[in-house]
Amino acid sequence: MLLQVRQLTKSFDDKTILRGVDLDLAEGQLKVIMGPSGCGKSTLLRCLNRLIEPSSGQVIFRGKDVLQPGTDVRALRQQIGFVFQQFALYRHLSALHNVTLALRKLRGMSVREAHAKAMHELGRMNMAEHADQYPAQLSGGQKQRVAIARALAMDPAVLFFDEPTSALDPLMSREVVSVIKQLQLDNVTMLCVTHDPFLAKSIADRVMFLDEGVVRAEGTVAEIFGAHADPRIRDFFAHEHSAA
Amino acid sequence: MSFLQMFSLLASGAGYTVLVTVACIATAVVSGLLVALLGRLRIKPLNRVLAVYTYIFRGIPVLVLLFIVFFGLPGIGLSVPPLVSMMLSLGLIAGAYLAEVFRGALDAVDESEIMAAEAMGMSRSQILFAIEVPQMLRFSVPGMLNEFTTVLKYSPFAYTVGIPDIMKQALALASTTLRGLEIYLAIGLLYFAIYQLMLALMKAVERRFSVPGFKRL
Ligand SMILES: Nc1ncnc2c1ncn2[C@@H]1O[C@H](COP(=O)(O)OP(=O)(O)OP(=O)(O)O)[C@@H](O)[C@H]1O
Ligand SMILES: [Mg+2]
Repeated sequence: MLLQVRQLTKSFDDKTILRGVDLDLAEGQLKVIMGPSGCGKSTLLRCLNRLIEPSSGQVIFRGKDVLQPGTDVRALRQQIGFVFQQFALYRHLSALHNVTLALRKLRGMSVREAHAKAMHELGRMNMAEHADQYPAQLSGGQKQRVAIARALAMDPAVLFFDEPTSALDPLMSREVVSVIKQLQLDNVTMLCVTHDPFLAKSIADRVMFLDEGVVRAEGTVAEIFGAHADPRIRDFFAHEHSAA
Repeated sequence: MSFLQMFSLLASGAGYTVLVTVACIATAVVSGLLVALLGRLRIKPLNRVLAVYTYIFRGIPVLVLLFIVFFGLPGIGLSVPPLVSMMLSLGLIAGAYLAEVFRGALDAVDESEIMAAEAMGMSRSQILFAIEVPQMLRFSVPGMLNEFTTVLKYSPFAYTVGIPDIMKQALALASTTLRGLEIYLAIGLLYFAIYQLMLALMKAVERRFSVPGFKRL
């Protein structure tokens, strides 16, 4: 198992957001996390690479509990690619340099090496011909593909997506779904938070339903999207479908 | 006095004006950056000191501070050379204003970009120098140009501490030739020309580092 989360909790001041989350992610697996707005999906992802400090629990990544004191947090983060809803491309850098920055700073690559690696990853995302363009010159779908290339360039053990298609119109969102599917064929391990039933159904190996800070259900796409026994889950999907 | 002599006097004055302006701008940029970046460390007592600096230096007239430094400090045994006095007064006052410009520009850097860099595993200082500072400087261009212009326009105070700048030469010329109107009009044009030069230089620098779609503040 690449990632095992046990009884993870997180409170902000007096507000408890995560109340004992368990999660397993196997190598090569693509797991989707769904759940109502504000239930703590983003908080969960950010706890796993310690962008947010969890309150308690265990996050066992490659056999080691990364919440233990003495963990090299930056080294941990370098093994986890993170893709955000709002792309978060560095706006003063071209697509190419968005990808090369971490390779130069963190991997210590030469300009030439970093360039070659970046062009390879941009090519995988069908973005090679846009390498010299700046974020403001790219469409939303293109930006997100650059962001994915930027994350992939570090050869992470796993990719986290936090609602990668929510800021995109349906057409652009399809571009992103299709590159994620491509990554799945390449056996990239992924954990993806989404509200988008189309995305979830297209890619998920398994779906996890998070609600009120706990995992309320987990199963295959069919199990979760089908007539689920839990009325809250049925309601959620009935609503999501009418919204989509 | 021949026209050529007058011209060469004013030209040497222009050299000093540029020197004073550049020295004060350099002081301002260094102190402004230092204050803005140190403020980023969020160390409470340090931030209080920085706030006091910007508060006081923005509130005090340039000429008063210049006189304190140049004529006042020797009274306690500290004699400060004229150019350094200009840097410690005009330079630091402009620095206090620039610090505010830089601070605002740092705040304008998108949080999500910083978080993305953190998520990649970059260190605080890597993020500061690879992402925050480059964006901050681009955001600051209008504010910097403003402040640099102000420095140029306050530079004639240099004559009061004996620096032979344009103003000083003009005063001397006016008193020997008694043709004040022509002379002061001429140096008005000279200052304007220096201002235009500065503008062109800044535009060139801005173009060199321009990023498509990067919004100014
Ligand atoms: N730094 C913080 N301080 C206090 N409360 C926070 C903080 N960050 C998040 N929260 C709260 O935690 C809850 C969960 O937030 P989170 O962003 O994880 O939800 P989410 O499931 O990702 O929602 P969405 O679907 O809208 O993205 C929200 O109620 C939010 O207000
Ligand atoms: Mg969220």
